[in-house]
Amino acid sequence: MKQATPEALATATKTAKAPKHLHSFGYRARKDMQRNWELYLLVLPVLIFYFLFCYKPMYGALIAFQNYKPALGFAGSPWVGFDNFIRFFTSPFFGRLVKNTLFLSFELLIFGFPAPIILALLLNELHAGPFKKTIQTVTYLPHFISIIVVAGMLTDFCMSTGLINDIIVFFGGARSPLLQNPALYRTIYILSDIWQQIGWGSIIYLSALSGVDAQLYDAASIDGAGRFQKLLNVTLPSIMPTIVIMFILRIGSLMSIGYEKTILLYNPSTYETADIISSYVYRVGILEQGWSYSTAIGLFNSVVNLILLLIANRLSKKLTETSLW
Amino acid sequence: MKELEHIFMKKNTGKKALALLSASALSATMLAGCGGAAPASSAPAASTDSTAVSTAEGAEFSYPMSGDHAITYWTTLNEIMSSDYSNMGDSPFGKGLMERTGVNITFQHPPTGQGDEQFNLILADGDLPDVMEYHWMDYPGGPEKAIADGNILALNDIIDQYCPNLKAYLAANPEADRQAKTDDGNYYMFPFIRGDDALRVTIGLMIRQDWLTELGLEMPTTMDEWHDVLTAFKEKKGAAAPFCYEYKMGSLTDVLPFQFAYNTTKKFYVGDDGMVHFGAAEQNFKDFLTTMHQWYSEGLIDADIATQEFDQVSAKMSNGTAGASCGWAGSRMGVWSNAALATDPNYDLEPCPVPTLNKGETAKMGPIENVVPNQGGVAITTSCKDIEAAARMLDWAYSDEGHMYYNFGVEGVSYNMENGEPVYTDLILKNPDGKSIANAMVDNIRGNYNGPFVQDVRYLSQYYTLAGQKVSNATWLVKSAAKYALPPITPTAEESEQFAAIMNEVNTYRDEMILKYILGTENLDTFDDFVATMNSMGLDKALEIENAALTRYNAR
Repeated sequence: MKQATPEALATATKTAKAPKHLHSFGYRARKDMQRNWELYLLVLPVLIFYFLFCYKPMYGALIAFQNYKPALGFAGSPWVGFDNFIRFFTSPFFGRLVKNTLFLSFELLIFGFPAPIILALLLNELHAGPFKKTIQTVTYLPHFISIIVVAGMLTDFCMSTGLINDIIVFFGGARSPLLQNPALYRTIYILSDIWQQIGWGSIIYLSALSGVDAQLYDAASIDGAGRFQKLLNVTLPSIMPTIVIMFILRIGSLMSIGYEKTILLYNPSTYETADIISSYVYRVGILEQGWSYSTAIGLFNSVVNLILLLIANRLSKKLTETSLW
Repeated sequence: MKELEHIFMKKNTGKKALALLSASALSATMLAGCGGAAPASSAPAASTDSTAVSTAEGAEFSYPMSGDHAITYWTTLNEIMSSDYSNMGDSPFGKGLMERTGVNITFQHPPTGQGDEQFNLILADGDLPDVMEYHWMDYPGGPEKAIADGNILALNDIIDQYCPNLKAYLAANPEADRQAKTDDGNYYMFPFIRGDDALRVTIGLMIRQDWLTELGLEMPTTMDEWHDVLTAFKEKKGAAAPFCYEYKMGSLTDVLPFQFAYNTTKKFYVGDDGMVHFGAAEQNFKDFLTTMHQWYSEGLIDADIATQEFDQVSAKMSNGTAGASCGWAGSRMGVWSNAALATDPNYDLEPCPVPTLNKGETAKMGPIENVVPNQGGVAITTSCKDIEAAARMLDWAYSDEGHMYYNFGVEGVSYNMENGEPVYTDLILKNPDGKSIANAMVDNIRGNYNGPFVQDVRYLSQYYTLAGQKVSNATWLVKSAAKYALPPITPTAEESEQFAAIMNEVNTYRDEMILKYILGTENLDTFDDFVATMNSMGLDKALEIENAALTRYNAR
């Protein structure tokens, strides 16, 4: 609605034969750019970022269908069709890798996703004060510790002579090397992940909570609602859109767990539960120079991710009327 | 597809060879041109005569090279050196090397512990440093494939043209020559060569002799005696982890002497029949695993074997938590002894012979490295512009002067000649800054680790200061070990991808299962299934490829 006046003005001052182009997209875009060039300038770095780091590398995914040799280059490497995919699907480790990746992902989702929400809700019940501030700071801090350091600490703590075993022995248990036990691996991974991310993850929910209208609480109190009822009937519904969006975003990256923490924590005795697609890609691609093979696996992983995201979005649209698009 | 790829590669190698020829010709003419145009070159040693005919035979050539030469040199920085210098070019060794060869070297180092990862990333990037130091046999598919992939140069013509010293050494040492090239007769690196058999045995078992004496026990020579000794350590000395070593370190676990007692090894070896075998798929290996699992379940082997690293093992070996280990005489036995001797003057770590099953037997297999071990070799990459400078700089190490420099450093500074033998000065042996011998050596020479040169045995008796270290080579040496060791054989470029794909899966699976068998998370009754699974992954085919490679190697 705003477009008309300045455009008309501009055309009027410039040329007389403009009316023909008045409504063409190119013309309007050009005009808009002239008018809001500062905004376009602001968004430019982001566009460049996405182009350079998200779109430009996409052509590289084509090497999944090649037998890529760096020295021959992209143009010179031979095409092999689906060979790399077939090799992965028929690999003896295929089933285990997908299973481990899915299990770790879903367990991280089930246990890791609600944790910051619960922390945020608990913090919300506290009155602002030094205690609340301390809790928040203490829970944020681990987020800033490098994963290398975290993994080093975990390895030491989980040794048969480590801190955790000292605690187990104090309560009458027996010492055992925890990181050599495949059954415990995912628990260690997930608990440490929650410890590291819970504070950071709660920030967005705390900000959503601060936007809840205080009158709603007053009204609920007048209606005789207790603390817990207010939590269930006022607080949670108020931040539900945030939760749903966060959930969908999380689903989108469900299968793309990074390899860093895994390769720092696993060893051959825990491959059974620890080896995931990304750590396998790391071993095959970077350590064994299987460029094309690892790209094919990565591409497969991305396709699964995309499908999961689409399903989650569709479900959410149906169930909660909130969705990404 | 394979066929197509084959043709493609061949074509490419041809192109590369052509490019190489023209490049070397170009650099040669360029150098000649330089010499002619600028006779007032700053290097005093190089006469105008020698530059004019420098391309002819190399006979008139002399170091340092005249003119401006700069190359980039990628190598992992020795861990000990990294505590003193962040770049080899800043160390006395690096500075001296540049000064003496007349080549300005820019060293590039990957972060500690990320050498292999960085190496592969650099290859993927395609913009290679001029020369790269690497364990080239581990290049997936082997050195021949590194050439076929267009990453490094075949050096035959370059050696003929610029490297009289290396050429002369290889001509005089046929075994080293055979191990330093590929089946196709391509030289691909300036090799690290063990100049003496004593240098080929550096890893073995070691035990607390002071504990043995205290408990009235003999040095263990059989697996049963080892069991008794370790049990005694646990029960009488309170050692929580009687046998403890860096299991994660592949170079140690691959040659753990206990497996040799069962005439087996987890890797490929050459059997009595002259064929290549895969030890982990044979019955003997099950016997080895059975014993290891028994020891583990009795608490004789460190419980945290799969997760611990150097620091934890060092602490345990020095503070009495462990009484026996496996490692190098220098960087393990020496380091732990010296650390412990500071507080416990009786601490005495001694090397143990490779154990056998029955008393009085002699072991057949043992830890031994090839004359040209898989480390420290330097290749010239396809990105190198000044090939002559790179080749000349590297060839210098095989000259008499370079040999002394790499092994002993600078005469009058780090060593003196006494009765015709090089003897390290106090700069090395009693470093004024309080550095350990290993540390002082690493700063000034490469003789005590590796690199592109011929290692001199005369460093060893001076490097090993403890009584245990001095007898380590003789104790650990198994006379027939070399017969069973796999020489540096390589699959052909065509087979190498298939071989790499098979062995990647087999090795992953094997390492996982070995650890599970030892820890007891998997029952040894499933050993036959384990072997069957490895065969289904294509182990038969891999053995076929290896045997063909051995035949080709023997025919070299």
